[in-house]
Amino acid sequence: MMRGPVLQGRARDHFDWPLFLVTAVIAVLGVVNLYSATSVYFGTSRSGLSEIYINQLYWLAIGGVVAAGVAAIDYRHFERFGYLIFVAGVFSLALVFVLAQDVRGAARWINIGSFSFQPSEFMKICLIIALAKFLHDDPRHEERSLKDLLVPAVITLVPALMVASQPDLGTAIVLVLIFLSVVAITRVRRRTVLGFLGSVVVLVPLIYEYALPYQRARVTAFLNPGADLSGAGYHAYHARIAIGNGGALGQGFMNGIQNQYRFVPDQYTDFPYPVFAEEWGFLGSMLLFGLYGFLVLWSIRIASLARDRFGTVIAVGCGALIFWHAVINLGMASGLLPVVGMTLPLFSYGGSSVLTVLIAIALLMNVSMRRHGGMSASGL
Amino acid sequence: MGVLCALLALGLGVVLTGAYNIEVRDGDGWRSLAQRQRTRRLHVTPKRGTIYDRHNTPLAVSVEVPSVSVDAVELLRGIQEEYISMRVQQYATRIAEALHLPVEVVAKKLARHRRFAWLKRRVTTEEVASVRALQNRRQRYPVRGLMIEGEGRRFYPHRSLASSLLGFVAPDGMGKEGIELALDTQLRGRPEEIRGLRDRAGRLIFAEGIQDEAALAGHNVVLTIDQGIQFIAERELEAAVRTHEARSGSIVIVDPSTGEILAMANAPNYNPNDYNVSSAQQRRNRANIDSFEPGSTFKVFAMATALAAKSVRPTDTIYCEEGRMPIDNVVIHDTHPSKWLNPTQIIQISSNIGIAKISLGLGGQKLYDGLRRFGFGTATALPLPGRVAGTLRPRGRPWVPVETAAAAFGQGVSVTNVQLTMALAALANKGRLLEPIIVKKITDSTGIVLHEASPKVRRRVVSPRIARLVAEMMSSVTEGEGTGIEAAIPGFRVAGKTATAQKIDPATGRYNDTHYVASFMGFVPAARPRLAVSVVIDEPMAGTTAGGTVAGPVFRRVVEMSLRYLGVRPRGTRTMNLTKLAKTPKELKGTNAAARLTEPVPVAAYTGRGGVRVPKLQGQAVRSAVQALVEAGLIPVVRGSGRLARTEPPTGTRVARGSKVTLVFEPQT
Repeated sequence: MMRGPVLQGRARDHFDWPLFLVTAVIAVLGVVNLYSATSVYFGTSRSGLSEIYINQLYWLAIGGVVAAGVAAIDYRHFERFGYLIFVAGVFSLALVFVLAQDVRGAARWINIGSFSFQPSEFMKICLIIALAKFLHDDPRHEERSLKDLLVPAVITLVPALMVASQPDLGTAIVLVLIFLSVVAITRVRRRTVLGFLGSVVVLVPLIYEYALPYQRARVTAFLNPGADLSGAGYHAYHARIAIGNGGALGQGFMNGIQNQYRFVPDQYTDFPYPVFAEEWGFLGSMLLFGLYGFLVLWSIRIASLARDRFGTVIAVGCGALIFWHAVINLGMASGLLPVVGMTLPLFSYGGSSVLTVLIAIALLMNVSMRRHGGMSASGL
Repeated sequence: MGVLCALLALGLGVVLTGAYNIEVRDGDGWRSLAQRQRTRRLHVTPKRGTIYDRHNTPLAVSVEVPSVSVDAVELLRGIQEEYISMRVQQYATRIAEALHLPVEVVAKKLARHRRFAWLKRRVTTEEVASVRALQNRRQRYPVRGLMIEGEGRRFYPHRSLASSLLGFVAPDGMGKEGIELALDTQLRGRPEEIRGLRDRAGRLIFAEGIQDEAALAGHNVVLTIDQGIQFIAERELEAAVRTHEARSGSIVIVDPSTGEILAMANAPNYNPNDYNVSSAQQRRNRANIDSFEPGSTFKVFAMATALAAKSVRPTDTIYCEEGRMPIDNVVIHDTHPSKWLNPTQIIQISSNIGIAKISLGLGGQKLYDGLRRFGFGTATALPLPGRVAGTLRPRGRPWVPVETAAAAFGQGVSVTNVQLTMALAALANKGRLLEPIIVKKITDSTGIVLHEASPKVRRRVVSPRIARLVAEMMSSVTEGEGTGIEAAIPGFRVAGKTATAQKIDPATGRYNDTHYVASFMGFVPAARPRLAVSVVIDEPMAGTTAGGTVAGPVFRRVVEMSLRYLGVRPRGTRTMNLTKLAKTPKELKGTNAAARLTEPVPVAAYTGRGGVRVPKLQGQAVRSAVQALVEAGLIPVVRGSGRLARTEPPTGTRVARGSKVTLVFEPQT
């Protein structure tokens, strides 16, 4: 796959096979699961929404090519253009406000030609690169105070607030979580940590106060599960029924009755996991969690072996991106978290999401292949 | 780095625990929820069984009539809180317009936000079309969540025919009166929940029991009623009740050799398709549940009892006191004062004094036992709602002499028309009293016979010789000086008896001279009876009130047409081969057989080579087509509804008398 002349011999030798294989396995499982999720009964006949899994294959192919390109270019070039990339991301977010199409009450997409494009997804990558650039340029080992974190916080909050006003709360939360995950590997003063936790306690009710009605309803539904099963609690409730219907060993491929009879809402976008869990049971769930867990831990390994600070932060950021997407998506499907629109990496249908995840994987691959050139960054 | 790893591991661990809890620890609970969700509201109401007459003509059938329901959750999904009331109003207006309902009613149902609510039951074809138009997804704002479902509705193709016997079915599927009530369990089938699957929209996708639908469906009931005879009886009864301005009337027709009830007609009656516009009075099955004082028809049973006990001989003569006889402090009168009468004459001119003297000679206890043996004072075993026994001893103690005398001519006792007809049939059936049969057969929906009635002898009441003797006496009623001369049918000997019973005025507790029950009962042909018929007219007002003149002609017309319908030859001799007759007319000329053919039978029925042509009936309504066919001596089998489209065999085909002709009706377009 990656045999371009730009690759140095050493980098080629260090092609990260475990990363590639695990990603490939997740992608294959994701497509298979999509096929099942969309082969549901309409009326009395089972008719597939066949174009959905086919489209996903197209996106994976496109994403593979893009990823090959991203992995081939030495990540240190990204460092040079770090802030430029970030500004481009923010600019495209701003474009959304001008050009966006309204879908279900939210403006998140820009239509380019025949396909729509969701800048907020790519913003996550841009943010990771910008944060990496900042920490790379500020190499200190002493504890950081709140003042030292002001710039990265602003870098995060500008796109986060833009995204939140679309409104796309899920993505805003992921941006903030990526920031927090990256900050977690730097040394921060205890006072700062406590101050931050305190401000969270103050801010959460404030955010709730300004949240939109449907968002509030979801939180209420989460805190008070049985209350409104046909309204705001509908998604979480039916997702859980499908998961529970899987049992320990599952109902078998294409045999998830709750999905087949369309009881699972949004089964190919936000809730592919209930479909998977119903068919493969707790056994399948463990396998899936293991795969995501491997990706996340592997990215920490890549971070600790990275040749420079920029690579370390990139790896942590990409790992955090996959981790938070997976945990929040699985958590909301299992009723552990309120329902927010959050995709499950490589399982949910959607071009922007697939491209973003594959770019993140490519960045991990990039850092991993070029790890032996310099010092270890573990002492960051 | 360690902190981060720990946080990540914690996150994964929490999610994994969540999955474990749902799938394994609480798995059974969620699975039962899933199960409930899929099988919910899958009550498939089985098709109610059909009620047929003895020739399998459907009398009551269930048809599917669509109903419209709404899933308000589906309809209002995705609408933001602040717009909901506005949208409810908009949708309600459109739906209300399509279904011709008040907007507020629809809005209220939508605002309840339930996953299921009936909007309108029994919608018309036009309303279905309007609903389909609302659902059409091509328009800008299609209405989601509307469902059209079939719902069983009971239909009585012959409208009022046998209505008081059949009963009707309420919209909830419960049989309410008559056969529909009495055999409700069998007809209804098993309205079980089918273990099946539905999708989110509530559509039935797959049901384990669906191929077994036949097993769930209600049983079919075949009655002993003959639709043709029932029709004749009802038409004549209705005409008589109208002509005489009577309060009500009933006719029971029994096949004396089997006890099968061929007709049970009541007037007034009602149309069970519109039962809610009828009164309880119209719905009464009077023949079975109204008891009345029979009057003079009772004399034949007293006479039979006395003859059997040998307390009187057919050759005896009895002095009839010239029309006036005091017993204790009561004076008994005769309409036709006489001196000496033999038992035959007592029956023929209906002498109260004669039968009173005979019964006093017999003794009160023996008369009572004899009448009990004829089935009076005991409810019949008919599987119909309401079991009326009538009373022989209203005061609960043995009769005093005047009561014995009165009972002999049918005063101070009460009977139902069914009881009376069955007792009459016993005389027609060599003295054997049979159980009345109304349900001939019950089959399940696949045609397997579950129950088949067979004639059951309750007891031998009198010997065949006595029965024949009484029949002979009764034959004199319709001959010569008899009171029932208007019931005579040319070509047949009719054994009958009239009755003109005074009614007790409920205000005074005494018999009055203005309110009567006029009745006539008899069997034909007297020697080998095919039909035992009892006609009861309650309170005839206009003109005469005598049983012979009010009920006699009704009896004559009903029996005459019924015999023709059944293909019974005049004089009731051997069945003649009509083909032979037609081929050799010369041989038969001048013989008795040819002479017997002259009187009542319409020439049309015997044209050509001994068959009947299927008449041209196209375009006629069910009732008139059936009537015409019955009058031509054919048995109609009705299929469909509306106007007659064709017959099988086609019009003009020559068929044997008594053949079944299928009438195919189609709705007018």
